[in-house]
Amino acid sequence: MESKPDGKRQGRILIDHVEKVYDPEGVNVHACRDCNADIQPGEFAMVVGPSGCGKTTLLNAIAGFDNATGGAIYLDEEKIAAPDIVQSPGADRMVVFQGGALFPWKTVMGNITYGPVMQGKMRVNEAVKEARELMDRLGLSQEIERLYPDNLSSGMKRQVEIIRALINDPKVLLLDEPFRALDNISKGLMHEYLLSVFELTQKTIFFITHDLDEAVFLADRIFVMTTRPGTFKAVIEVDIPRPRDFRVLATERFVEIREHVKAEVEEESMKAFEAGERELA
Amino acid sequence: MSDHTATIESQFWRQISRTFVNWSLFRQIMSFVLFLVLWSAIVVAVDYFQQIPTPKAVFMALFETPFKVVLVNMLKSFIRVLAGFFLGILIGFPIGVAIGYSKVAKGLIFPAFEMVRPIPPIAWIPATVLFFVHIESQIIFLTFYGAFFPVVYNTMGGISEVDIRLPRAAMSFGLNKRQMLWKVILPAAMPQIFTGMKLAMGITWILVVAAEMMANKGGMGYYVWYNHTVMDYPHVVLGMGIIGLCGAICSIGIAWVGNYFTRWQRIF
Repeated sequence: MESKPDGKRQGRILIDHVEKVYDPEGVNVHACRDCNADIQPGEFAMVVGPSGCGKTTLLNAIAGFDNATGGAIYLDEEKIAAPDIVQSPGADRMVVFQGGALFPWKTVMGNITYGPVMQGKMRVNEAVKEARELMDRLGLSQEIERLYPDNLSSGMKRQVEIIRALINDPKVLLLDEPFRALDNISKGLMHEYLLSVFELTQKTIFFITHDLDEAVFLADRIFVMTTRPGTFKAVIEVDIPRPRDFRVLATERFVEIREHVKAEVEEESMKAFEAGERELA
Repeated sequence: MSDHTATIESQFWRQISRTFVNWSLFRQIMSFVLFLVLWSAIVVAVDYFQQIPTPKAVFMALFETPFKVVLVNMLKSFIRVLAGFFLGILIGFPIGVAIGYSKVAKGLIFPAFEMVRPIPPIAWIPATVLFFVHIESQIIFLTFYGAFFPVVYNTMGGISEVDIRLPRAAMSFGLNKRQMLWKVILPAAMPQIFTGMKLAMGITWILVVAAEMMANKGGMGYYVWYNHTVMDYPHVVLGMGIIGLCGAICSIGIAWVGNYFTRWQRIF
């Protein structure tokens, strides 16, 4: 969890002229083109944009599930996506998926300890000890550790999933609309939860959303994407001081920033709507 | 005022009846009783159906049969069913995994399967003579064949419908492709794999009965058919009942194993 001994913080994501072309049956679809961003170590980056603009494409490239067809993505000094390399996912980049992807046949504890045990980084009892410490520190009751995910509420599932990611001590956390299916009250609780996790761990977070309130509430910077082919058109600094809680939502500054983001996104959404874009898988 | 008293009184009796009678259980027992009464009534009242044995006649037939004969026939059917069922899993499961996991295997195998599958398994009965000389092998081949397709198709379906986020998450945790199959794909597909096995179990019983009726080699199908030829219908119905019981035992058995392996699915 702590920063590395040389004092230099890890987790910079550099997106350098990234291009992604899907080519099903010879029909070139540009999901991303000339995409540039420089996300700093320990930064909370929110990515917003119209449906189907290539946000998830970009996340999949960072995660290593899918490669870029042009340009390159670097994590610190390492090139993680580019046409000239074979991409592969790794424990240094942990994804929290839309809708959640806990293994339903594993208990909460089995899920959390899965990564370190599978990679042989910890023995089972070490992993369990570490998991309990982490659950304790991040406010998740140990009573649920023997339950299967199907018996948890949606909000609790997300908490477990975030802890399952963090136990791998990743450099970055990648979140793809993780709270989309949650009701508003659970969502609010999860936002504050994620903020406390962020403040405790200081991980770089790359978070995709459609929810502008969510974006402004959580972010250091908001990256607005254009309609397809997706590229970053604006980067909006959120200068609301941390630690933040729900009272921030009522401040003038919050509303002001949200209006700004909304104007930027709406322009793109209208373009996408008029072009009749469909969401890419 | 008297209205109020009446309400209290009816509540009192309702409470009494709830305390001393389990009405839900009562209704379930009544379901069986009504079934038997209706059956007897139809046989007695309708001239046209008077050849049908009454429940009582079937029950009495139970005491006329040498117990050993029924037991031996049951055992024969059980062995044939289980042999075919496990052969079906032994051969069908790996093929289902291969088709579900690999596009190449699917392309090579699936179209031919789709051509053969619509043939009802019972239509294979005469043709089995061409494959096997021994009648016992023919019967086991048929039960195997009945189990085969449900196992293959449900294993394949379960595997190809695994949520892509699960293997992706596992990849981030550092699993390689071989571990992926055993540690992620198969556990995730387990519920549907067991659905296939339950279906397979039902079909093997259908086939074993049909095959035994043709074969003159014992088994519960033969028992029913033999009693038909000597026009002993109480024993025909008794045999049918025993076959139903055997099928139910097998279904419960497979469901029990399935529930154990997918216990994470149960919400409690």
